[in-house]
Amino acid sequence: MHYKTLLRSLVPVLFVSFVAWPACQKNEFEDPELAERTSEFAFPLFSTTLNLKDLMLKVLSDSLSNDTILVNPDGTMTLYYSGKVAEKPATDIFKDFAGGLFPLTDTVSYGPIDNLPGVSVSRADLSKGTIYFGIFNGSQDTLTGHIRIPQMTKDGNVFVYPFVASPGANNATPIPVAGYILQSNNNVLEFIYEAYKPTGERVKVEIAPGFPGIFVQFENLEFSYLQGYWANQRYELIRDTIEIDINQTNLVGDVYIKNPQVTMRIANSWGFPTRGVVKYLSFIGRNGEEIPLTSSVFVDSAVDFNYPSFALGEVGQTKFTDITLDETNSNIAQIFNSQPTRLIYEVDGISNAQNDQSIVGFLTDSSNISLNMRVELLLEGSARNFGAEQTLDLNFGGLTDLDTSKLESVEFKIVSENGSPISSNLQLYFLDEAGVAVDSLFDNGAQFIIRAAPVNSEGAAIGITRTEHFVTMPAARFERVRQTKQAYLSTAFTTAQDGAVSVRLLASDNVTVKMGIKAKMRFQ
Amino acid sequence: MHISKYKSLLLCLFLAGEMTAQQELMLSSMPDLWHSNSINPAIFPAGKRFFIGGPAYSLDAAHSSKVAYGDVFRKDGTRTLIDLGNVINKLDPENEVFFDQRIETVSLGIRSKNDNWGLQIGHAIVTSGWGKYPKSLAEVLWYGNAPYIGQTLEIGPQADIFDWHEWSVGLSRRFGQLDIGARFKYLTGAGSLQTDENRTLMSIYTDPDIYQLTLKTDYVFYSSSIVEAVDTAGYGYKFRTNSFGGQPSFQNTGMAFDVGFRAQLSEHLSIHASALNLGGSIEWKENVSAFTSSNQYFYEGANIPGIDIINGSDNLDFDAKLDTLNDIFQFEKSTPDRAFKSELPLRIFAGGNYQLTERWSLGFSAMYQSLANRTNTALGVSARWQVLRWVSLGGMYSANSRTPGNLGFHLLLNPGPLQVYVLSDNLLNGFSAKNSPAVNFRLGGALVF
Repeated sequence: MHYKTLLRSLVPVLFVSFVAWPACQKNEFEDPELAERTSEFAFPLFSTTLNLKDLMLKVLSDSLSNDTILVNPDGTMTLYYSGKVAEKPATDIFKDFAGGLFPLTDTVSYGPIDNLPGVSVSRADLSKGTIYFGIFNGSQDTLTGHIRIPQMTKDGNVFVYPFVASPGANNATPIPVAGYILQSNNNVLEFIYEAYKPTGERVKVEIAPGFPGIFVQFENLEFSYLQGYWANQRYELIRDTIEIDINQTNLVGDVYIKNPQVTMRIANSWGFPTRGVVKYLSFIGRNGEEIPLTSSVFVDSAVDFNYPSFALGEVGQTKFTDITLDETNSNIAQIFNSQPTRLIYEVDGISNAQNDQSIVGFLTDSSNISLNMRVELLLEGSARNFGAEQTLDLNFGGLTDLDTSKLESVEFKIVSENGSPISSNLQLYFLDEAGVAVDSLFDNGAQFIIRAAPVNSEGAAIGITRTEHFVTMPAARFERVRQTKQAYLSTAFTTAQDGAVSVRLLASDNVTVKMGIKAKMRFQ
Repeated sequence: MHISKYKSLLLCLFLAGEMTAQQELMLSSMPDLWHSNSINPAIFPAGKRFFIGGPAYSLDAAHSSKVAYGDVFRKDGTRTLIDLGNVINKLDPENEVFFDQRIETVSLGIRSKNDNWGLQIGHAIVTSGWGKYPKSLAEVLWYGNAPYIGQTLEIGPQADIFDWHEWSVGLSRRFGQLDIGARFKYLTGAGSLQTDENRTLMSIYTDPDIYQLTLKTDYVFYSSSIVEAVDTAGYGYKFRTNSFGGQPSFQNTGMAFDVGFRAQLSEHLSIHASALNLGGSIEWKENVSAFTSSNQYFYEGANIPGIDIINGSDNLDFDAKLDTLNDIFQFEKSTPDRAFKSELPLRIFAGGNYQLTERWSLGFSAMYQSLANRTNTALGVSARWQVLRWVSLGGMYSANSRTPGNLGFHLLLNPGPLQVYVLSDNLLNGFSAKNSPAVNFRLGGALVF
């Protein structure tokens, strides 16, 4: 019966061991791992709000330097941009009488203040230059004397040049004339000289009998002021070319801008009547064709410039003349909506076209005639597939470093909330380092990711149109795309109702574009 | 730092079968077992004078829905995998888990020669855990937030977990056929983790627009010797923790009382009742911290000025934005501004036994437990068969707050002075933890002379 005693002792031990065994299997509780699963995480990526005013300024005038957009009281916007200023300074005219050489054939000689055709100067203020008197004494006596110019004064003192000329001597001393004023009622200067022998006898200075021995030379003259009479004369005024590049991209599609205006502003500080005569004014179209401008504002292709009046004490002032070309007085609308690329013009000037001899004119050394062409676009019109292309730098930021080994797919959600009357059809091509497109955002071509807001009868946006697009990418495709550093953006804009109506772009118009992502991850 | 042990405890909590408290109905029907003294200080096995209680282990764990260990865990070679995919559909909108573990290391008892007095001392290590979590927490952890776009997911879990050591001394007195007993328990807490029931908000909302995230927290939890720091500096979270089951601290102290009686009403009929953990609580002072997260954060992705886009500044820097996402759950550690106390569960047992024959007896048991606002009531009837003089088997039918029908059993081997037993209030699930949403068993051994 010993085995029964043994059994009675062992059974509890075995029993407890059996029961307790599972509880000792603690390894199942230690460091368990999450099983394979597919989880999907959704989070926002970015949002941005594009203001139409900023966008239009960029799209329409990116390459122009003197551009600006003004917001009108009714919220509409007007785009202004200007070409470079073409000008004709008065100093160009001064060059024509910068100097001259002539002999004094007698003790009293005469010479003109200037030799400009049709110009009679009654006053000239010298700011720079010299006068030379060449004296050649052909006699056997030493001659003494002076030369006087009564019309040439400085601080009220008449110009006088004393001299002593030895027999056979040759004097030519330069004398600065800055500060002297030449004044004559008949555009004539008198040169009077007196020469005496030692005996006191007054004589004429001659190189040889019959040949004058005194010469006068003005050199490098510059004037600060000219006053006189300008007769009717025609001269070349301005010839210039303005590049009209309203977009740095290659535009395609149709755009219609309602009532564009081109304003020519002439700023004139020449102090006599000038008439501008348009010799040539044409636009050059996209295909190189010439599109002449026709307008009723030019009478015989000419227009009189406003000018500062001597009689009214307007010396130094600038007068402006604005010539506005719009759809009411020209074919500028037709020209502009054909998207011209260049404006070429040539204008001559006619002084005192009315030939009014009572007009006293003037020029200062700062007098100028300038012509500025300004294009003024009220942002109202329509567009259909108005295209723009641009290459953008890309940086996916943290997504570039994302561990995609567990990624199954991603789904981008692109949302636009558009408060403008413009739709945007877009495709984005992702470029590798060689600039070769490796993928595109949309599989089925460009998509309207932004749709125009509804418009009222005036063409202004009156609501917001929300558009959603989903782009799904398998992991491999996303891996390829996120490594790209550049993208080629091809966009086409179309205004509301497929461009069939004219819309008005308001400064308050904007569009919000935002994107979120769903990432499906497979954990194993 | 013993993160793995802490993790194990949490997992046990998750697995645990429903039991709003430690239900030990079967033990209360076995007055001849020395370890039944642990639920009634008046009970000493009849006819014995010396009692040496060996190790005893009891586990009672439950989950509020039909989630079992096997639903969550599966083996893949040597790996143990957690598969919530099988579980989420079974979860309720709000789920509770319970975990009560008692390890009785040693107990000694002696009765006076005249059998009128009984003295008992003992030591036990007890862990009590309760947790509550929304289904959405499991969903967002497993499936991510994308399937729940447009929904506000409340994901804040609640927990009240603590473990302590009981150092007990008890005395019983016999008055004729009536035994009454009382026990004083000195408590030394080891660790505690307790959420503030008034501040449990953690929510996440994913906007249908472009998935903007709105995150809100107003969440506070208290820790004693468990959580040292919550690090959210990276994309994930790291809890620097110590484990439960650590050394008790004499700064974390409390006390509790057990009282009970047993009356032999006739030769065959006896009744008993007890109340445990009266006034029981532990005040935590050792290494106590409060962790607070109170934020509201709206994340809408990178906000790129339109003028930058127009002018060609098109770099999207997501890094800095995502870093700030972690700030929302940034827990601030501080000293709690209120008393941090854990109440012990109040447990009341009552029942009776009727000796039908020399080998058969019948029993009735009732149990009520209350902790905070959580209660559990269980009633059971039992039958016991003395197969041999040293072998007894028993069965019990019981109903509790969760299920109306539970079959319990016990097996007691009593060769000589040795008492070895295993018992469960839930036979079908008691030892099949892998496939059961509820686990209940007790096993142990003792020497009685």
